[in-house]
This record gives sequence, structure tokens and C-alpha cells, in this order.
Amino acid sequence: MNKVISRIIATTFVGLLSSQAEVQFNRDIKPILADACFHCHGPDPGSRKAGLRLDTEQGLFEGDPPPIDKNDLAASEILYRLTTDDEDDAMPPPENHRQLDPKEISLIQQWVKEGANWEPHWSFNVPEKPNAPSVKRPNWVRKPIDQLVLARLEAKGLEPAEEADARTLARRLSLDLTGLPPSPDTVEAFVSDPTEEAYQALIDTMLESTSYGEHRARYWLDAARYGDTHGLHFDNYREMWPYRDWVVEAFNRNQPFDEFTVEQLAGDLLDNPTREQLIATGFQRCNITTNEGGTIVEENLANYAADRVQTVGWVFMGLTTNCAQCHDHEFDPITAKDYYAMAAFFRNTTQGGLDGNVKDGRGPAITVPTSEDAPRWDALPGEITQAKKLLKERRQHAQEDYANWLGTLTTSMLEENLPKEGLALHCPLDPAPVIKEGNTIDLGKEGDFEIDQAFTASVWINPRNVNKKVSVLARMDVNDKHRGWDIYQQGKRLTAHLIHEWPNAVIKVTTRNEVLEANTWKHVTLTWDGGSKVDGIKLIVDGKEQNLRINNKTLQPNQSIRTKTPLLVGRRSTGATFQGKVQDLRLYTRVLSRAELGSLADLGPVFKMLAIPTEDRSKEQQEQLFEHYLKTADRAYQEHSKALTTLQSERETIASRSPITHVQTEKAGLAMGDILMRGQYDSVGDEVTANTPEALMAMPEDAPRNRLGLAQWLVSPKNPLTARVTVNRFWQELFGKGLVVTAEDFGIMGAPPSHPELLDWLAVTFVESGWDTKALFKTIVSSATYRQSARTSSEKLAKDPHNSLLSRGPRFRMDAEMVRDYALAASSTLSPKIGGPSTRPYQPEGVWDVVGLPGGDTRNYVQDKGENLYRRTLYNFWKRMAPHPNLEAFNAPSREVCTVRRERTNTPLQALVTLNDPQFVEAARRLAETALTTTTSDKEALDYVVNRVLLRPLRSKESDILKSSLTDLLAFYESQPDDAKALIEVGDAPTSESVSPSRLAAWTMLTSQVLNLDETLNK
Amino acid sequence: MNLLSELQAVQTRRHFLANGSHLLGGAALASLLGQTFQQNALANGSIETHFPAKAKRVIYLHMVGGPSQMDLFDYKPEMAKWYDKDLPESIRQGQRLTTMTSGQARFPIAPSKWDFAQKGNCGMWMNDELLPHLAKSADDICWMRSLHTEAINHEPAITAMQTGNQITGRPCLGSWASYGLGSMNENLPTFVVLVATPSNREQEQAISARLWSSGFLPGEHAGVSFRSKGDPILYINNPPGVPSSIRKRTLDSINAMNAITHEELGDPETLTCIRQYEMAFRMQASVPELTDINEEPEHIFKLYGEEARKPGSFANTTLMARRLAERGVRFIQVYHNNWDHHSNVGGRMPDQCQDVDQPCHALITDLKERGMFDDTLIIWGGEFGRTIYSQGGLTTTNYGRDHHPRCFTMWMAGGGAKGGAIYGETDDFSYNIVKDPLHIRDFHATILHLLGFDHERLVVKHQGLDTKLTGVEPAKVIPNLIA
Repeated sequence: MNKVISRIIATTFVGLLSSQAEVQFNRDIKPILADACFHCHGPDPGSRKAGLRLDTEQGLFEGDPPPIDKNDLAASEILYRLTTDDEDDAMPPPENHRQLDPKEISLIQQWVKEGANWEPHWSFNVPEKPNAPSVKRPNWVRKPIDQLVLARLEAKGLEPAEEADARTLARRLSLDLTGLPPSPDTVEAFVSDPTEEAYQALIDTMLESTSYGEHRARYWLDAARYGDTHGLHFDNYREMWPYRDWVVEAFNRNQPFDEFTVEQLAGDLLDNPTREQLIATGFQRCNITTNEGGTIVEENLANYAADRVQTVGWVFMGLTTNCAQCHDHEFDPITAKDYYAMAAFFRNTTQGGLDGNVKDGRGPAITVPTSEDAPRWDALPGEITQAKKLLKERRQHAQEDYANWLGTLTTSMLEENLPKEGLALHCPLDPAPVIKEGNTIDLGKEGDFEIDQAFTASVWINPRNVNKKVSVLARMDVNDKHRGWDIYQQGKRLTAHLIHEWPNAVIKVTTRNEVLEANTWKHVTLTWDGGSKVDGIKLIVDGKEQNLRINNKTLQPNQSIRTKTPLLVGRRSTGATFQGKVQDLRLYTRVLSRAELGSLADLGPVFKMLAIPTEDRSKEQQEQLFEHYLKTADRAYQEHSKALTTLQSERETIASRSPITHVQTEKAGLAMGDILMRGQYDSVGDEVTANTPEALMAMPEDAPRNRLGLAQWLVSPKNPLTARVTVNRFWQELFGKGLVVTAEDFGIMGAPPSHPELLDWLAVTFVESGWDTKALFKTIVSSATYRQSARTSSEKLAKDPHNSLLSRGPRFRMDAEMVRDYALAASSTLSPKIGGPSTRPYQPEGVWDVVGLPGGDTRNYVQDKGENLYRRTLYNFWKRMAPHPNLEAFNAPSREVCTVRRERTNTPLQALVTLNDPQFVEAARRLAETALTTTTSDKEALDYVVNRVLLRPLRSKESDILKSSLTDLLAFYESQPDDAKALIEVGDAPTSESVSPSRLAAWTMLTSQVLNLDETLNK
Repeated sequence: MNLLSELQAVQTRRHFLANGSHLLGGAALASLLGQTFQQNALANGSIETHFPAKAKRVIYLHMVGGPSQMDLFDYKPEMAKWYDKDLPESIRQGQRLTTMTSGQARFPIAPSKWDFAQKGNCGMWMNDELLPHLAKSADDICWMRSLHTEAINHEPAITAMQTGNQITGRPCLGSWASYGLGSMNENLPTFVVLVATPSNREQEQAISARLWSSGFLPGEHAGVSFRSKGDPILYINNPPGVPSSIRKRTLDSINAMNAITHEELGDPETLTCIRQYEMAFRMQASVPELTDINEEPEHIFKLYGEEARKPGSFANTTLMARRLAERGVRFIQVYHNNWDHHSNVGGRMPDQCQDVDQPCHALITDLKERGMFDDTLIIWGGEFGRTIYSQGGLTTTNYGRDHHPRCFTMWMAGGGAKGGAIYGETDDFSYNIVKDPLHIRDFHATILHLLGFDHERLVVKHQGLDTKLTGVEPAKVIPNLIA
């Protein structure tokens, strides 16, 4: 990396100084034309008046008469139209809301007079390294960035601010590169050695920290609109956090941004894509989806594609392509046809229009094994195919052995062949007893299984009627909240229960199909894998695994299902009784394989068949018998079968402990789409082939017309937009706003860049570095511009109120996540864990259920415990219909659509969060605890708190304020011990007993004050 | 912008504070600054109206799911003869259906099971069995029987009704009102959202925060959700063990420290921060009084019904809306759910009407008694209507109805709406509009008009376009709806 950086540092300006024209078309004239004229004389033919367009060179200089006559500038029509008193000729027409002011008119006049030099829209030109402007204070310049910034400042009569002090710099750097405050030690080390070398080393350390990737990922996930729910209607859980973790990792390993782009847009279309490259395509699957009854699949798919076009437009192209969904873009050269040609790239997917309200959204999705599981997961498909092949071969070659076996077969041999391993109980119950009221069978201590004990319970049953809801086999204490387990007849369906406490700690599943018939023998089996997830329970009827409806899955791994009540055939500890016959009850302390279960279920029919003379057996019966032979008596077949089962269950086991993630997959065939008239899904116009907008650079002839082609086009060095748009967003992350303020819109109506040359310098440098993100950040934070103090003056506030000229260092209120992370980090309670399923920290009650629908799986917020309460906010569970309120208060977006710049407001609701949210109150208390238990005086404790939060010593007047506050707080809590106790018990973390409650309460409030300071909340 | 002189004034006051009593603290500082800044804050939050507003505030009662117009307000006596006969194709005209009924073999007509009668001097035909209270207000209400929309499913339809566009991400009506008119008080938010719990919850629809988001308007114009359970405003209550006096003490200290920060760095945002902490405290102080509904006299509970004592009920919510309106909240958005009657209209409609009938009449009466009716606009209605044909099984006493965007009924009252007006007419099937169609765009334009704005001129730049509530299609104010 050093090489790359030195190359960048060595890069200097190119080109010659150009003569500065007084009026520049792009900077001075085009914005006026766009705002006042393009609506009727712009790219959209639908709204164009008089066939005249002023958005193109041709339109401006040709025609009869041409708006501007290059041969006779002074006689140009445009000058007449702008100034005439004739109401019929005046432009804009007098009834228009938008009129030109005299200053604008004189600018246009001046421009025409100076030769009417036309320029294409700035952002559609390929950026070039700018000329180096001369500056009066070359000593201030550390980086080419500074020379460009200084030149503008000097032109406006402003001076840059002095360099911020070492403490401020260390804090700013840490917040910008890692999203977290630095440790006091880091700050002190830099303060004692504030050299350039130390500063560079500090940057490197922070860029290498894993927090760097987490922080960068947070911004990216806004753009990618990542969330943990589908977003519409039920807004159920969507599992795709592996994509979120992929983003963190990609930033941490400093994946070149062009690759980062290609993999997210087209990872699946690369040659032999890796699992990571597939996960990356989740970028396109983050859009919100629905399963609302009544919605129309075609319309949904059109909406999903529209969202992807919008996102790619904002994130990579900086163009509001979405405007062309209904009509040709009013201002930018994007036609509706271009729009649907873009949409065609994204419609060519195997995704369905309804998400099923399930976590995989009905696919496409992949399982993501851990790195430990991955080798086996990847090997298993091949091994399973091979095992199936062996099994098939054995079946084909077993006829001879089968004939021998048939010749010697007796019924006792059949019994012999049934599974024995793990057999805990076998009651033949022969002849079958009739179970009815008053006649149940007590099997005492049998079946006393704990939740972590895998087991199988199987029995033949023959119900007399099928309207009953009764236990067939139960070890369950009705009077102890139904603790225990059972197999339960639910009319014609079969249910299984594992219960700790009814109804809040339960696993309950029911067969989707009706499986029982009156007066008919059925072999029913319950298996439980001893895990904790609902998919560990199975019901098998006559050897066939049943499709189950999950009725309840609230049982937790640490809960017990053991009960003292005996195992009963026919009912629970009390209650209704099964009516009918039962036979051959077996309990095993393991999960039987499918083959084994088959052999149990076959037993009855096989007995029957043996009683039939060989020659009278039907073909079906012969096959059944052969099948039975294979499963129970053919050693070779059994071994192959067991091997297959082992592999399959290994696959199931890995799948059950691995997350899934949504990916994009391409449908076969050419990516085509239809123009939808006015954006309506059901009013179909011409068919279009996937393509990039015609007015921008063309895709190479040989480029694939699919997402891969699109991605390569985006990161082509000739693409004028992607690099500019990207560096602008990175700049925005550091300075609070981009050089182009409208980060999503580099089009004609977007804000013009405050420093066009700087933007281009950054873009070219970025591409030349090989799209090296860390190097770019290092360059920017090394600049003198970045290192300026944020201190402002009345002069600067007047001349540069919004710091657009960069006359001072960046200072702004931190984003929602940083505000929370800051409090956790400063109180040393932040968990360092990276990645994994999303977390559910403290949240007020009733936030989810007001918006949730009954039956939705994100209706009830179940707060996490322990470490997950203190994870980085990046990992918060993001329910799109109800984002976490403490984040929402600080302008976090809902992640329903792409967001490339957040708002930054300052509201009383924010104050209420940091003052009252248990997360912040607890952080204050825990920091106070540490301060009080590691220091020996109030002064030291106060210094500790302030140093931890503000990373600087206290000034004396501040000290007076805080001490006076402390005195009052102490007096209050000493007189009100109950209040003290109540306050320090906020939060799950145990309260220190070595500090007196009143003292701790007073210090908690004092610390809360420090955590609430403007200085704390601002970068 | 006279920020500079303001800053200098702050400096001077800072000197006073530094030299005088340092324990006067930031809260006092902010009060010293208060008036000017507060006025500025108000000014920042509003723009000049285009003409005098008739309505100063709005209470919008949204019936989530889409109430059945022909069972409540759109009287169709002809339909009795059509019981269980197929909807003629000449009426349906290839109309787009939801996939919930597009597969139905036939579309049998379900006449309303309830009797209708004319009410008030205006003679509005209304359900004569389920709306006895509202009937008494018939002449105060401006009836609109010809609303129509394009959207046919809830999510897009409710989004269109609230933001003018089916696609999410635009500001809602409440945000536009907040943006246009600004705040009328310094203790409470400008735009408040209340979600009532229906007594019957058979078929609720999703209501999400996006409906009250500010879209591309500044975030301060987003609705603030008041809750009936837990903290009325999230995080409004101090942690246990922190009484108001202690909160005040800590805020003084915070703001005094912040004043020093401002002196050091000169960032105007620091002053904003000081003001917001002050405002937070005022909100904390005023909300308990606001939500203490028990202070209402007995006759108020008689008026709204005993249900009004039950937190979260529609009656309770309506009463809360009145209390918010009284305290200067500009826009109060209420949601009442479970109007999505795909089946069991016969069973659900009485519950729904029981919930809303008396409170709606009470709200009108109550506002009149307080002299607030004339400048408070009440709006009632759902996101679309329902079909005349039955979805699922049909009997004379029960049936279901699917979504119907082509016509539906809403009403307004007060705030410049024309009492006793009956606008728009539908065909005998309540299927197509035959007179005075009222697109939701026109409806929005009319509401903005009542609030003092020309919908063409209440615009905000977004992605280069002057964007407005009524969107790009032509929209018009309907004079016949205005008093």
C-alpha cells in the first residue's frame, strides 16, 4: 500500500494555466437556463414548446432564427426575448412563476458578448487533473487538495483556519476513520509527540483497525438500503446480514472500489463466482418487497426493478434516472427508453414478485456456512451425488441376495433387523390393547427426556374416531403449565408438543395434511434432535416425513421440558383420553434415520405380505418386500444408505446453524424489458434491450448486455461519473457535505460543485490509485484543509456561512449510530464483536407492535440480553416500518430506499434520547462506576469522566460548573435514597455495590451531563 | 440574515453571565436569548401563506383499510333488486381488480343490509342504523361522495392519500402543513400522530412511520407519534429517580457548558443545541398536563362516550386530538384501523361505527363550544372505497367487499369546509362516478387552499424539480367544497 500512497503523493498537477473567462457557461449560465427555460425547452419532448431546446449546443446555436447567432452575437434572438416588453415575445412568459432577475439577464448578456462559449454539462466530461492555481501562502499547502482550496479562499478574501490542536485532531481522525472516539491513551501519545510521522502512523493504525470497515460500511448500507425486514405490509424478517458483514469485510481488506462495484452488481455473472461474490450481489436484493394479498406480481417486479435503477442511479451515476420512469427526464439527457433499458438489466432475475413473508423471500438465497463449515458444505453436494449413485447401483445388483433371503425368511428374522441402537423402551403391546377412558397405560419413568436429549418415539395407532383432540402418547403435566412432551391427535392431523411453560415457552408443530383415518392403522413417529430450533422436530407417518405447520416456537435452549408425571399411553397427566388401539411402542435416545423409520413403518405390511404365497403377491407387494429387504437385511445397501443419510443430515445440520442471504441470479436469455407508459406496469410500450443511457458514453460493442456489462461500464476509466460521485460521497463523510452537495444528483439540476477542480483531482487520483479507498482517505485526512480548526469567526460566518469554501475544519453533529457508539465506547462498555445476526438493544415498548400486523414475525420486540445490548449500532436490527426510535430521532433513514446523504437536524427529541434512553443512562452510570472505583478523589473522578468523554482536561470555569452541579446532585440523592436506588438500577448491567447508591446516582447524572454536551455530540 | 448581530448579542450576554452569576446557567441563557431565537425558529418553520387561511389547524381521521361507502353514505336503493345478480360488464368496463377477486367466477351484487334515511336540512342520505350521532352533525359536514384514486392496494393507496403519490418517500399532508404554516406553540411538536386501537381487530392493515415521514422536507416536519401506552412521546419521561427539579439542574449545567463551547468555537449550531435542550424540557413539562385526560369534566365524557376514558380507544384518541389542537398543535393525524372488510361486513361494520360515530359528532360539537370549529379542519375517510359486488360468500345479511378505487366517500367539517354540502354522485352501483369526480389531487389542492396555500406555489426543490403535494398532473381547488 505504501507504494500506492507514495505514488499519489508524488502526483502533481498537470496542464497549463488557462485563461480564466469572466463568465463560464457551466458555472454561470447553464443553471439559469435549466431553472428558467428547460421545463419548456429541455430534453423532454413531451413538454417542449415551439420545438425549441436550449439544453443542447445545436439547439442554442442553430435554427431559424438561432437563439444565439454566432455570426452576429449582438442580434441574437435570446437577447431580445429576455429584454423585450412585448408580452407575446417575452421569455420566460410573464405568467411563468420563474422570472429572471436583472443580474441573471446581465450575466447572459455578458456571456453572449464574450462569445457565447458553450460547454457540455460538467459531469459528463471525463475528469482530468486540473491546473495548479497559484496561491499566496504556499507554505500552508500539504497536499494538492490544499492548493485548490486555498486558491478559492484567497479569491474570496478569506484565510484558512489555524491547524486544530493535537487532541482535537486525534479525536476527529478517530471519529472519521473508525466511527469511535479514540482511547485517552491514544490521544495522550499523540499530544506528547504531535509530529507528522506520528500523525501518519495514527492514520495507518486507524485504517488498519476493524472498526474502520464497520464505520465505512455504515454509510454504504444506507446507500444499499440494507434492512432486516422485507419493508412492506407484514414487514417480516428478511435474513441477509451476511451481506452486511461482507460490506464491512470488503472495506477492511480495502477491496478496490471498482471490484467492490462489480461484485455487488454482477458477482453472480463472474466466472466461477466465489460465495463472497454471490453474497455481494445482495446489494441488489436489499430493495423492499411485499407479499400483500391482492398485489399484482408484474407490478411488484416493475417496482423492484425501478428501485434498483434508482439506487444505481444515485449511488454510482449521480443521476436521478428515476425521473425518467414516467417521461423523458426534464433536465438530464435520460429518456424513458433509457430508463427501461436500464431497468431491463435488473428485471432479468429469477426473483419472484412476492416475498412469501418468509426470511428467504422465496429466493434466490444461499446458505452461508461459517469458515469452519465451508469446506464440508462445499464438498457435500458431490459426496451426496456419489452416495446416491452407489445406493442405486447396489439396488440394481441385489436381486440374487434378495432371492436367497426370501428363501430363508422367518418373522423373527424381521424383528431382528429392526434398529436397536439407542432403544430405550420397546412395548410390543401384542395383541393391541384398546385405549379408552379409564384404560390408559402407565409407563412410569420412561421417556423422561430433557430438551437437549435427542429422541425418537414411534407407535402404531388405530384411532376409533378422528374428531378427537387428545394425546396419543404423553409425558406431560397439565397442572404444571403443561410441562413435558407429547404426540397429539388433532382430529385427522397430528401434532407434537415440547413444552416448558404453556404458551410462552413451547415448540408446537402440526402436520399440514390430514394423516389419520378412522379405524386404520398408522405408524406415527416423533423425532427431536436435542437442539433448540423448531426445525429439529419432525413428525413421520408411515415412514413419510410430514410437512409441518409451526404453531409455536417460543421454547428457548436453556429451558427444561422434564416433568415428574409418568409417561402415559392415551392421555396427559389428566384430561381427555385417546380412543382406539395402539401397538409396538418404541422409544430411542437418538433420531432414527429415514431408512430405519421406514423399516419400522414397513413392519406391519411386511408381516401381512409374508402370509401371502409368493406367486399370489402383486407386483407392488413384491416391490415393497424387496424394498424392505434392502432396508433391513442387505448389509451393503444399508451401509450405502447410512452413508447417504449421514451426508444428508450433515448437510441439514450445517444448514440449520448457518444463516442464509439473498443473492441475485440471472434468468436465462437476453436481458430485455418493456417501456411502461407513464410508469404504469400494465401499460406496456416498446420492448427494449438492456443498455446504458444513450447520451452517456456507449457500452463497448463486445461488452455483455447484462449486469456485468453495466458494472464494467460504470467503473471504466472513461466513465465520467462513478469516480466523481464516489469521491464526493467519501468527502461528504468527512466534511459533512459533499463538494457537490446533492450527492445523488450530478445532473443539470443538481448543485454545481463548490470546487470542481478539487473534485476532478480527487476522482482522477482515486482511479489512478487503482480505486484505493484507504489511500484516498489517507490523502484527504493528511491535508491541511482537513486539519483546520473548526473555530469560526464572524467574518467567516458572513462570507462562508455553511463552510462551503472550507475556511475551517469540519464540525457537525454526529450521525445516530455514532452518538450511541460514542456513549458505549466512552463508558468502556462497547462490545468489540464483529458481525453476526442483528441485535436487539434497549427499545421502548410498543414500537413494533403498533405498526405490526397480527401474525407478523417482527411484531413483538424481544430485547436481547448481555453483550448484544452493547454491540455497535451498525448491528442493530433494522425493522424498516419501525426503525429504532433513538436512531430515527437522529435522522437515521428507514432504509426503505437508497439514501446517499442523511439529513442533519437538531431537535428536542434528540435531547430526550440522550438524556432519558436507558442505553445512555446506563452508559453514564457505568462510566461513573468506573470513575469512582478507580480513583481516590472527586477531582480525579471528574477528570476521569471528562477525559474519557471529551478527551481533554477540564478548564477551570467548566470545573466550577460541574462541581457545583455535583454538590446539588449529591445533596438531593443523599436526601432521597429511593430515587438514588431507582436511578442506578436503570439498565441490565449489575450495579456496583462498592459505591454508595446516592453517590453513584449523583455521579450518574453528572456523567450524563458530560455525555450530553454539544462538544460530545459533535465531531 | 442578522446572525452576526445576534451572535454579538450572545457574546455580550455571555459576558454578563460570566461576570454575574455563573450559576445562572445555560437554561437561563437560552431564556435570555429565547424570544429572538424562538421567533426565528418559528419563522424558519413557516412561509408566508398565499392568502388568508380559513383553517389554522387540521385533525385528520384516517380510516385505515377503506370504509365501505355504500354501507355508510352512498345510498343505492336500486341495488335491492340486484341482489345476487352479476355486476353488468357495462358497469365494470374491464376495471382492474385486485388478485383477491380477479379469479372469482362471478361478481354477485351485495346490496347494503342497512336502512338509510335522509339527515339534516341538507338531506344527506346516511346509514340510519349505525350512525345516530354523526347524523346530528349532518349540516356541519361537507360530504364528498366522488373521491377517486388510482391505487388499488393498501400500501400504495394510503401512501397516495397521505402524500399525493403511490411511491413512498414524499412528504405527507401533515408535513406540508408544518412546512407551510410552522409551529403555533413552543412546548409541543407541530405535527402529531395518534394511532387508535379499534375495538374489533379482525383485519387490520399495516400503518408505518413512513406515512408521517417528512419525505424530502426537513426532518423537523415529520410527525411525532404520541402513544397511548408507555411514554406518550418516546423518551419524554426522565429515568426513574430523576424528578423535574434535578432534570432542570442538569440542563442548566449542560447549557452553561455548551455556552462555553460556543464561546470557544463560535458554531451557531451550538446555540441551536442549547435551544433544543430548553425545548425538550418544556415538552417534558407540558406533556403530563396534556395527557392527563382525567381532568376533563364529566360532560365531556358524556359527549365523547365512556370509551373516551380508555387509553387508545378512538374516543380517547379524538379527545386527545382536541386537547392537542387546543394547545396549538398544527396538524393532528389520527389512524383508526380495521376497515378492510373483505368479509363479514355485517359483523364488523357495527363495531367500526360504534367506535367512530359518537366521537366524531362529539369532536365537532366540542370544537364548536370552544369556538375552534371555524378554524379547525376535520377530515374523515379511508384510502379507497369498496366494491358493490361481494367478495366470497353472499347472504342478505352478510358479505365481503373488495377494494374499489373508482369512487368512495369522505367528509370534512369546520376550517372553511362548506357544511351541508353534498358533492359528487355515483352510478346506481356505486361503481363509477357520474357527477363531479373528485380526484385525491383536487382534494389535496382544496385542503391546501383552506390552509392558505396555492397548491401550485407550495413547492420545494427536490432533485431539480419544484415538487408539490399535488404532483405533476393538473389539480384544481373545488370551490363548492368551500364555505
